[in-house]
Amino acid sequence: MVFILGNNFSEQRLVLKTLQGFYGIGPQISRHLLARLHIHPTARLSSLNSQTVLDINAELASMKIENDLRRELRENITRLRDMGTYRGRRHAMGMPVRGQRTRTQTATASKFNRVERLG
Amino acid sequence: MKPTKALLARSVWKGPNIVPLPIIKSKPGERTPPIKTQARAATILPNFVGLKFQVHNGKIYHDVTITEEMVGHKLGEFSP
Repeated sequence: MVFILGNNFSEQRLVLKTLQGFYGIGPQISRHLLARLHIHPTARLSSLNSQTVLDINAELASMKIENDLRRELRENITRLRDMGTYRGRRHAMGMPVRGQRTRTQTATASKFNRVERLG
Repeated sequence: MKPTKALLARSVWKGPNIVPLPIIKSKPGERTPPIKTQARAATILPNFVGLKFQVHNGKIYHDVTITEEMVGHKLGEFSP
């Protein structure tokens, strides 16, 4: 078991895919991180020594990911709402924000758009 | 992750959309009437803060009082 950012991960997992599990890290940023820490993209967690794991933890702690990023997203929407902008109102109504049609196909908007957006 | 994204909206060389609005500097203790305008695309500049606007939405004029955080947005965003 390997500890990264307070989570326990199985040793057989790819490092690349493990990092992508965090909210705010996708394929591109994950690759950049691995390149900076001299880890091969196909490396598994079992191949890392404890110093590298500490380095990964330090890098992740300095980034804006997980709950910090979610909070920022929520603050941005709340700010729009409090200012009284059209975009803020559309978020609160759960409708498309950027002028899409509303006659049909608003499922994605009604799923995601709200003031307390889940991320 | 993309700091340039905010700039993609409008060419930098154009600058903000500055519309000549009839802004009169009011003396303290004197009430000025709100500025009636149809220029919804006008960017809110820092010297607008505290002023009252009446922004047209195609049908009626909505009252908008400019606060500090509205700077950089357009007038039309506040008049749906």
